[in-house]
Amino acid sequence: MKSIRRGQHLITLMLLAFLVGMGILIYTLQKEADFYISHSSKVTLGCVYDRSGDVLFDPAAKKETYGAEHFLDVGNFIGDNSGQMTNTLVSRNTDLLTNYSFMLGVQEDGDAAIHTTLDHKVNRIVYDAFGSKDGCAVAYNYVTGEIYVCLSRPSVNILNNYKDIETLEEGSLLCKVFYPTVPGSTQKIFTTIAAIEAMGAEKLSAKEFECTGSYENRSGDLIKCHEESGHGKQTVTQAFANSCNPFYAQLVEDLSLPLYSIRRTYRSLGYKVNDEGGKSLNVNGIESFTASTTLTSAGDFETQWGCMGQGKTLVSPLQLMAWQSTIANTDGRMTKPYLIDHVTRVNGEIAASAKTERTEAMFSEETAAEIRRIMLENGAENYADLLPGTKVAVKSGTAQVGNDKRENSLLTGFVDDPEFPIAFCVVIEDRKKGEVTTSKITAKLLQNLKENLK
Amino acid sequence: MLKNGISYIGTVFLLLLTHVSMLGVVIVRGNIESPTNLLLLAGAVLGLDLAYIAVIKWYRQMTYTLDLLLLCVLNMGLIFQSCFGEVQLSVKHLITCLAALAACQAGFLLTRNQEWIRTKKPYIYAIIGILILSILLLTGDRSMWINIGSFSLQPSEFIKPCFVLICAASIMELHKKKKILFFYVSKDTLCLCAMALVIFGLQWWCRDLGSLPTFAAVFGCALVCRFCYPRARISKTAVGALCVGAAIVLAAAWMLAPSYVQDRLHVDIWADPYGNGYQQCQALIGIARGGWLGLGPGQGYLHNVFAYESDIVFASICEEWGLLYAFLMVIAILMMLMTVLMNPPKSYYHATMATGVVAVFVVQMALNIFGSCNLIPFTGVTLPFISQGGSSMVTCGFLVGMLKAGQSPLFRHKADKPKKKKKHSKKKKAAGRVKA
Repeated sequence: MKSIRRGQHLITLMLLAFLVGMGILIYTLQKEADFYISHSSKVTLGCVYDRSGDVLFDPAAKKETYGAEHFLDVGNFIGDNSGQMTNTLVSRNTDLLTNYSFMLGVQEDGDAAIHTTLDHKVNRIVYDAFGSKDGCAVAYNYVTGEIYVCLSRPSVNILNNYKDIETLEEGSLLCKVFYPTVPGSTQKIFTTIAAIEAMGAEKLSAKEFECTGSYENRSGDLIKCHEESGHGKQTVTQAFANSCNPFYAQLVEDLSLPLYSIRRTYRSLGYKVNDEGGKSLNVNGIESFTASTTLTSAGDFETQWGCMGQGKTLVSPLQLMAWQSTIANTDGRMTKPYLIDHVTRVNGEIAASAKTERTEAMFSEETAAEIRRIMLENGAENYADLLPGTKVAVKSGTAQVGNDKRENSLLTGFVDDPEFPIAFCVVIEDRKKGEVTTSKITAKLLQNLKENLK
Repeated sequence: MLKNGISYIGTVFLLLLTHVSMLGVVIVRGNIESPTNLLLLAGAVLGLDLAYIAVIKWYRQMTYTLDLLLLCVLNMGLIFQSCFGEVQLSVKHLITCLAALAACQAGFLLTRNQEWIRTKKPYIYAIIGILILSILLLTGDRSMWINIGSFSLQPSEFIKPCFVLICAASIMELHKKKKILFFYVSKDTLCLCAMALVIFGLQWWCRDLGSLPTFAAVFGCALVCRFCYPRARISKTAVGALCVGAAIVLAAAWMLAPSYVQDRLHVDIWADPYGNGYQQCQALIGIARGGWLGLGPGQGYLHNVFAYESDIVFASICEEWGLLYAFLMVIAILMMLMTVLMNPPKSYYHATMATGVVAVFVVQMALNIFGSCNLIPFTGVTLPFISQGGSSMVTCGFLVGMLKAGQSPLFRHKADKPKKKKKHSKKKKAAGRVKA
């Protein structure tokens, strides 16, 4: 009988294992059902709204209902369910928009919706502020992580149903905020951070390097300054404000700033250095490019050029903006940006609400305080009209792209006001003299946002 | 029935109530093109219920539990199969249900007497040999199907009960062990191992990845039963060596599996929803569409997908009847297997046989349900009692008969004479009523 009972135990074990499997299956099916149904053609989708209830996506949208260009500024960011764009809010979160629940099944008129943090009114103002220029702009609350503005030009008018897809300009179907760009001199923020981390604020402040308009580095290559007559002897604060290349070339060669320490700081910020490391950043499923650079030798031209944000150094405007929070919050920790404030299910219940997330410290509080001081000084001296009456920390940059010497203009920074904690990044592509400037677009962004968020 | 505390009439009532309520759901929510179709289905289901109840009552068995559960599950399957796409009696499935019921009785009669079956072991080996030869010679291009006109047979299905039977029938020979090299083994165990290797090789050659784990599970259970045998005296070293050997074989199979197997092991169905992952993606979408309560019988879309009635039948049922009904169907099948726990087998031969039968059903259900839902690689096996397919249904029926043989005390009364039977029959009848 004992042996027979052992046989029964074996049977019990098999049946229990199967039942456990069934339990896992039922749990998985219920959990993943929204994702499965989002692949069905038999399901209707809900709308996406901005922070004040304005519609950003409606699967049944028509020009007659919303106006011909209502969705133009968010076309390649919020996107649609056509399948033409894959890295947009709608395409990455279709499962949250389905008018479906496992209990009720597919509903024709459900209340499924995504409520975002975007300010559509300001977004459109900033979009128009670019005039005829292409580029992108992004701004968020560096305390909470809410994205208020995010746009990319040229964009796509989804209400045209892609009938004009053949004639769309290059880059219309992707939001450049999430894609790589050469950072130009905005990179000097992070090289300065690396220098403070390596030698301390006091020692760095005491360092002075001569700028004669150009500098011949250890390898014999010439690093030119945009000021042909040179800046003369400079401290880091002056060189930062002047975007002085010879100063930074000499700083990278300085023995007090070993290259491994620059690599370490870059990696801790999330850069992929020499194809190693790299921390990805995504916004509610929208994937963003991971910053990368190549740093081989302190005396090498490419390395020095990379530390000044040229050559092989690439970042996404989203990262440039998000890194400002590490400085603005004065603790070296980044506030992760998000777009979805909350989601309502098919029956109108709130399914998920956003939570502020912060990373581990990327550098020390002392370093954050020092770079913050340098950036604020730069803002006060050169960009006082961005938001009159409020201190703004700023770094500009000019990036050489392509072989035809086109220059992209960048501006990144943050507002030093606890009541209006905004970090931003604006990029204008192929900007020429006399055309709209990044500071003008930023001023419009900040002033309208301040007005609208009241 | 023994020990389960539900009366025969009560069980019959529950059985009829199940089918009547399912037919009620068909009437209320079903896609009925013509009332005649519904009447035909209702007539077939209830007719089969009443006819089989009458037959088993006349048959005067000591246990009716498995018969009634089998009837319950088969008719559930018949209703499901008759409703995919639209309500229309599936005559083909009805015929296979009848064949399964007949096979159940055959399995019961042929396997209940362990002494008799021990003398027939050579014949069982011969049957397996013939079936293997038929696969090698009559199926084309490393296939597992024999096509005769519009009919298709899958001989590997018939090997399953035979293999379970030889696993059980050779268990008593363990006390005839002899030392060969370092191990004490019996001749029967060696024959069984050799046969298992041949069957595994054949499955690998046929690319029948669904049946291979089933046979492996049966063989594994047979080995465990041998370890648990009262006079087994198997050393810990031998057990350890076997475990290590099995792990090496598994690892080697995993590493050296051909590309089509690797594809199945590593496929990301959502990356290729219209290629390799089509069936599973559609199955999961169908399950999601059905939710807990389903779209209604005949209201689904999965009947447009290949193998909706066999390989992804669980998803088809979920879509039209809901996950709740599909889960109840699984519970009904599991209850059949759980009868072994309520009415313990009367000998170690029957216990080994029951373990093998349960292994076949559990592994096959797991492969079908979890495979079609993408929890494990999709192998394309049938869901016992529910999927359409004659070979599978007959095999399942026969296996249930084997399960029943283990629970029936009839084999003990081999020496009973007809006149004594008459006397006992009244007692048995009474016992049946009391214990049923």
